[in-house]
Amino acid sequence: MVRLLTHNMLQCHVKNCTNGFPLRFQDPVIEQHEQEINKEFLVNMLPRIDWNALRTTVDQLGLPELPAAVPENPAEDEAFLAALHRALMEVNIQSGSMVCPECEHVYPIRDGIPNMLLSEDEV
Amino acid sequence: GAAPPERNRYLVHFAQAHEDFRLAELRSLAKLENVDLVMEEHRYDRDRPFLTVQLASDADAIKLVRRSILVKAIYALWEESRSYEALLDQIRRKPERNAPYMTCSFKFVVETFNNSRALDYKVAIINRFAFMAFTGPIDLKSPDVTLGVLEDYDYKSDVPRYLYFGIQLGFGNRPAIDKFSLKKRTYLGTTSMDPQLSLIMGNLGLVRPGTLVYDPFVGTGSFLVTMAHFGAVTIGSDIDGRQIRGTGKGNARRGAKPGSASVWSNVEQYGLQDRVVDCLVYDMAHHPLRAGELFDAIITDPPYGVRAGAKKIGADLKRAEWVKRPDGSIAPAAAAATTEPHAAEQAPRQLVSAKHPHGRYPQTVPYDLDAVMADLTDFAGRYLRVGGRIAYWLPTVKAEYADEDIPTHPALTLVANCEQPFGQWSRRLVTLEKTRTWVEGMHSSGSGQLSAKLERAGPGA
Repeated sequence: MVRLLTHNMLQCHVKNCTNGFPLRFQDPVIEQHEQEINKEFLVNMLPRIDWNALRTTVDQLGLPELPAAVPENPAEDEAFLAALHRALMEVNIQSGSMVCPECEHVYPIRDGIPNMLLSEDEV
Repeated sequence: GAAPPERNRYLVHFAQAHEDFRLAELRSLAKLENVDLVMEEHRYDRDRPFLTVQLASDADAIKLVRRSILVKAIYALWEESRSYEALLDQIRRKPERNAPYMTCSFKFVVETFNNSRALDYKVAIINRFAFMAFTGPIDLKSPDVTLGVLEDYDYKSDVPRYLYFGIQLGFGNRPAIDKFSLKKRTYLGTTSMDPQLSLIMGNLGLVRPGTLVYDPFVGTGSFLVTMAHFGAVTIGSDIDGRQIRGTGKGNARRGAKPGSASVWSNVEQYGLQDRVVDCLVYDMAHHPLRAGELFDAIITDPPYGVRAGAKKIGADLKRAEWVKRPDGSIAPAAAAATTEPHAAEQAPRQLVSAKHPHGRYPQTVPYDLDAVMADLTDFAGRYLRVGGRIAYWLPTVKAEYADEDIPTHPALTLVANCEQPFGQWSRRLVTLEKTRTWVEGMHSSGSGQLSAKLERAGPGA
């Protein structure tokens, strides 16, 4: 159930591929699972999120746009946190694949589990 | 200088389990709960379940132990002595201390160590406190106050060597052990972690709400579930995707349907879908995580040997010599193979790529224990946030172990090293805290002797 939280931390790791982030979803089957907002977690994670990568991915998936920049006081901004929560935690990619924007390596997703294994000559 | 802070004395009553982990767990909980803790360690005997501590308040005492797996209860310590005559006399001299409790409902408990006393003995002991003359009702179920008498015996003695008396304030969280009992779990694997130790790891790792916890050797997802229980969001990965998806062999006792059991069965069983967010298939030695201080804690049981899948992607496949049994003990591969077949676990993992659209299997090579530990320590040094912790298990041969065998890292500081013995073997729960920002050039270093020592001890050790 690849969440965008997880996707935001993944890059292509084929040997000598240096610009493989963020991975692009291909043929994604998207599910939205409502869940309780965890503000403490969101505020804690925010400095670790690559914001531009998240915006790019949300755009590629045709999901509601995120603000261009993180607001100055995100912990106090309820609307912002709600939008962040929906994008990071409630979007689940059930199947499809993630493709490297540079070397085009394909990482398949089956049953919500991404296979990031490389073959022995790619590591 | 400033006057030392006002503190009261308390008595911690531990369970009789995992003695080597007690003080480390308590120290971690003090940090996690932001409690100023002074342990009277010079008075502590690890063969006995009692530790006196100094704390600022009763509220701190309750906070300190509420998550503890190894603490049964904590008491406001009123008196302690070598004999009942002296103890009762000390209590008599401070009648003003009884005042708040004179009319509320109450009960007495008598706890004994090294001597299981019968009820009539305990009643006789309680009657010796009748002089306190409480007039409130006795309430055995939910009294306003519980007064505790704790007796410490020498083995085979009928006269206690030491006595404690105080007010019971709070309890540890031992019921969580039962909640996560493996017997009750839908999906089990050969490496599922004992829940008691798993929960202790959460305490040592400072795992709490709002944090992100990662297990790079996730197996059947034991840690994802227990760490999520502590409120953390959890992510796992493993080279073996079949462990994550499930082998289809559920825990029949729990009525699992064939083919239905996986990491996600356990997540659903405990209702933790909101917090266990992802499991990915990859090899720790070649992971796809971008650089950054991404995690608050890494909680893991690294593999070694055939059974647990100590492999990484590479050319050639060889068998490792040692395997880990479900209880965490270590055995020669040959011996373990006779008790439980593991052929299915040697089936290769499927790999689909642009190059091989119909799927193929990457080759794997044994992942040497020293290399696993070095990689894991390097990973923690880079990927933890400053203040974050890694807690992991290290297999050792007791006679050969030296502290230098534990890999060190310039960004990490050792906070605990607790041993769980198994005869001549043991495993150690190593906890490190990231205390400096990672910079280019920082690497782990260790003796590199872990594998050699296990092999040297040999199957006959």
